Amino acid sequence: MKIKAFFYSLGQGIKNMFRNKGYTLASIATIASCLFLFGLFYAVITNFSNMLHSAEQNVQITVFFNEGTTENQISQLQIDLKERPEVKDVTYISGDQAWKDFVKENLTEEDAQTFTENPLASSENLEVTLADVSQQDSLVSFIEDNYDYVRQVNRSDVTADALTGANRLIGYISAVIIAILFVVSIFLISNTVATGIINHKDEIEIMKYIGATDFFVRAPYVFEGMLIGLVGSLVPLVVLYVLYGRAITWILEKFPILSNILSFVSRGVIFSRLIPIILILGVGIGFIGSTMTIRKHLHV
Amino acid sequence: MEFYDNGGDHPMTPEQGEVVISLKNVSKQYSREAPAVSHVNFEVREGEFVFITGETGSGKSTLLKMIMRELEPTSGSVNVLGYNLNRISHSRIPKFRRNLGVVFQDFRLLTDRNVYENVAFAQRIIEVPSQKIRRNVTQMLDMVGMADKYKRNVTKLSGGEQQRVALARALVNKPYILLADEPTGNLDAETAWEIMQLIEQANRVYGTTVVVVTHDRTIVERMHRRVIEMKQGEIIRDNPLEDLDNNEEQMLENDYQMVQDVDADDYGYYEN
Repeated sequence: MKIKAFFYSLGQGIKNMFRNKGYTLASIATIASCLFLFGLFYAVITNFSNMLHSAEQNVQITVFFNEGTTENQISQLQIDLKERPEVKDVTYISGDQAWKDFVKENLTEEDAQTFTENPLASSENLEVTLADVSQQDSLVSFIEDNYDYVRQVNRSDVTADALTGANRLIGYISAVIIAILFVVSIFLISNTVATGIINHKDEIEIMKYIGATDFFVRAPYVFEGMLIGLVGSLVPLVVLYVLYGRAITWILEKFPILSNILSFVSRGVIFSRLIPIILILGVGIGFIGSTMTIRKHLHV
Repeated sequence: MEFYDNGGDHPMTPEQGEVVISLKNVSKQYSREAPAVSHVNFEVREGEFVFITGETGSGKSTLLKMIMRELEPTSGSVNVLGYNLNRISHSRIPKFRRNLGVVFQDFRLLTDRNVYENVAFAQRIIEVPSQKIRRNVTQMLDMVGMADKYKRNVTKLSGGEQQRVALARALVNKPYILLADEPTGNLDAETAWEIMQLIEQANRVYGTTVVVVTHDRTIVERMHRRVIEMKQGEIIRDNPLEDLDNNEEQMLENDYQMVQDVDADDYGYYEN
């Protein structure tokens, strides 16, 4: 494509946008709404995933031992577990440490002093933090089947299943919603470009008689669609950028207790991914919508 | 004068008297009813001025559409400027059409633009450099007498003025052939005559081959040019220019004198 033809088509595309102000604004508003919702979902899902991931990091199983288990046996199990890929970390908790932790969390110093012996002396254990929560069952089976000095393995079945399930469910639901929004966006931009083509029917016909090439006739409408997509993606990006920061500040100010539970993904991290995704989606939707329409309505 | 593009099947640069339009045994049938055009044969030579006349539904507009390759014949062959229009590929049609100028009864101007932009539009489409567009459009508007109204929106012009602008747009790309479909159909007699004078001027001064479809007998009789008359899709009369009597030829000479004040160098075709 010649540079002159490129700029002429681009200029015509921009003019087309202004000639159909009403339809252009409607299209931009629709794409902007869809991409805003997409961005919102993306931000929420990213944060939710981040929180789930953090929660998953804390899923632990606890291994208790029979009386008479030697330190060597416990150390050997600790080494064996650390070598497994689904295990992130293994911490040895002695009976004394277990009692101290219990006292710290549940008793006052005065109450604790009423105990002359450590009631948790036989509660030395290994706390195993998982790297992959879904492997919990197989890891528990592995420990129970291979180490006869293991008395009991406490697992957190409910937490693990719920977390992996919730993660998948959110993924599926968001994928379906976003897919529907994109189909709606493509349909709407297609209608806008079709309206433009119908409005410019005479112009297109004259272009054909004068000897305009297919590309020359079609290019302005493709540019129009892409420009609508571009503007339609910039609007939600700016709105989301402002809203995201304010929303996090508001939540943490209103519900300070949540700051201990929730860990929000920073605006920089979210938008370093969201900006290219939304721009590509916006311009892509514009391109697909206009190309589809041109194939259908513009027989040059 | 040169073609804008010579990429056709058998493109040619027409010379004086050479056949530029050739229809051989051409028929066009839209449905199972009687054909719109039936077994039509005729040739038009370079520089000729031809009227195609006939009543409504006689097939004259269909004939014109086949010459500009808007329609394909059901049978027979159509050759224009060396392009075999029966076999021309879709991608070559734009190149072929750059050799034609087309004028319609309803002007078909771009109503959201001014006079200058309407004419410049034709040049922009074939990617003429901006500086040349300015010069060419100004010259053409001067020729059709619309130079002083170049900024005016076309919706504010009279019918005659709109057709002048449409004619300027058709001629600005220096076509070899000017096709006019009822160019005076929406105009009063006096304005119609002015438009026909401009078309004749293009034919005489620039050597543009002209084919005018019209049912206006007054214009046809007054212009003293070759007339192809159609009825029910068939040619029933074809009077070549040679058949005109001496008296008519003298009238033509008189008409010619009327446009002598037009300087061929000023309005002549320009380089792209």
